[in-house]
Amino acid sequence: MPDLLTVRGLTTRFRLAEGDVHAVNGIDFSVAEGETVAVVGESGCGKSVTALSLLRLILPPGTIASGEIIFEGQDLLRLSEDEMRRIRGNRIAMIFQEPMTSLNPVFPIGRQIAEGLIIHRGLSRHEALEEAAQLLAQVGIPSPADRLNDYPHQLSGGMRQRVMIAMALACKPRLIIADEPTTALDVTIQAQILELMDRLREENRMALMLITHDLGVVAERADRTLVMYAGRIVEEGPTHELLSSPFHPYTEGLLASLPQRSEPGRPLTTIPGHVPSLLEEIPGCGFCSRCPDKQWECGQEQPQLKEIAPGHRVRCWKYR
Amino acid sequence: MTTPLIEAEDIAKSFAVRPTPFATRKTLKAVDGVTLQIRPGETLGLAGESGCGKSTVGKILMGLLEPDGGTIRFRGKDLESATKDERAAFRKDVQMIFQDPFSSLNPRMRVGEIIGEPLAIHRLVPNEGHRKKVLELMGMVGLSAEQINRYPHEFSGGQRQRIGIARALAVSPKLIVADEPVSALDLSIQAQIINLLDELKKTLGLSYLFIAHDLTVVRYFADRIAVIHQGELKELAETDELFERPLHPYTRSLLSAVPIPDPDLEKAKILMIYDPSLHDYDKEKPQWREIFPGHFVQANSREAAEYANMYP
Repeated sequence: MPDLLTVRGLTTRFRLAEGDVHAVNGIDFSVAEGETVAVVGESGCGKSVTALSLLRLILPPGTIASGEIIFEGQDLLRLSEDEMRRIRGNRIAMIFQEPMTSLNPVFPIGRQIAEGLIIHRGLSRHEALEEAAQLLAQVGIPSPADRLNDYPHQLSGGMRQRVMIAMALACKPRLIIADEPTTALDVTIQAQILELMDRLREENRMALMLITHDLGVVAERADRTLVMYAGRIVEEGPTHELLSSPFHPYTEGLLASLPQRSEPGRPLTTIPGHVPSLLEEIPGCGFCSRCPDKQWECGQEQPQLKEIAPGHRVRCWKYR
Repeated sequence: MTTPLIEAEDIAKSFAVRPTPFATRKTLKAVDGVTLQIRPGETLGLAGESGCGKSTVGKILMGLLEPDGGTIRFRGKDLESATKDERAAFRKDVQMIFQDPFSSLNPRMRVGEIIGEPLAIHRLVPNEGHRKKVLELMGMVGLSAEQINRYPHEFSGGQRQRIGIARALAVSPKLIVADEPVSALDLSIQAQIINLLDELKKTLGLSYLFIAHDLTVVRYFADRIAVIHQGELKELAETDELFERPLHPYTRSLLSAVPIPDPDLEKAKILMIYDPSLHDYDKEKPQWREIFPGHFVQANSREAAEYANMYP
């Protein structure tokens, strides 16, 4: 499969009074057509900033300091704001975590779904609303035509998330970025929504970038997985291999701390310490202060991502 | 059998939903006919999805909400007929840990004041021993002494949860109601807090009511699990029993929906969706029945017979 999206050296910073926050530090990855790539990591690791950077939705004081985002052959960072607007929602769509805050409370949902169709595909208002009803049917909302005039507050959390998905699908984008799409939902609803996203992705041959902290969701859905820590990708590989034989001590630690992988009655394995502040540039590996396998050079110099099995790369001095 | 530490018998609670321009006034049954016990030193997990009434059950057991019906007995004593002193003792013996470590700590108080406040309210230690006790509590939960004068915003989520735990422990409670204590935390921090709660349980002989939507955490932590759906208990059993022999279709759907972080097991999993209309409750109302020893389920007699033969 050819690459749909290639990111090289993406660096995003936030200039605050206290100093620069190095949220994303030169990350490289790619997403092939029709592929599901998961990005996992803890809060503050840069996964959401990465997603927002891809769509150039970083607001001041944040800036994309350097890098390339090649999507369908063009560098998104070189496009004008007008050209970018034709990509957002049209070629790349985003599904946000909180369906209540990301839908507009004062417009009916039909109108909100139709908006993208009118702008990007030039449909008339009437045609767009008809299509919106079809989209609602596609995402499994019963009697969709009657729902078009509902306001977001009239729908449950799961239904709102379905509306968000319908909106994202409206223009048949090539890539959907879903930032914690099911975190606010109950497990039974989560399972249904993930199932639905997967089916629609296959039907429409879209690629999906799934940002999550839930390793169970990753195992279930992703072809490949990227693990982020302190603004860098520390491990990347086919999901199956990454979860069954992780290389990076951080990935190992995360997997070991899952309650499912521990015996009841025995203490859970923990990763001591906490995520470093991103206010200072970390000279060496960002994980070294918490790492059980720390060596002398870990705190001195940044290790590079190194391929140690087919498609499986890791950023750690243990492997050289 | 020993006297349960706390017992709820057939408790119910409704809330009046205020009329809006779109809906007339009605009442919402948040909890209906819930019966459960927590034994000394035991952790009871209360699992269910949002809006199922699990937090309301927690608040009723805490004495923060008055149930509309049913009885709460603490160490065999009915709280309704308790004297003022007995009620005060109950309030000391039952403490709570909250979900959100950001909104549950007063941002204008220093850590030492937050942890020390319950000690002052219940007049448990003389003034000169106050600081020593606060430091001791901080040590117990893994905070260091020099952090005593800091404010909550200077701490990470996991550390704030430690502050909340220290505050709950200050009055040497017997029962802790922990309402989603780790769901706001990152995975690696979650494990630290679960280990801390577990260690405190062993050293202090605490009992917990552990309220959570995440069944994997409940499974690891709880001795017994109660599953609640729309205000009613559906099933209650020892943890291993519940996972090995789930009876109620709602429990089975809940178990089937949990993502497993293992691709091989995950692919083999079949998702079940709970359909309440499959019960024939118009013919016969369900009751709370003990199908196997210690394994309770809400069922009518037809279902009870079916459940009893489900795992031959």
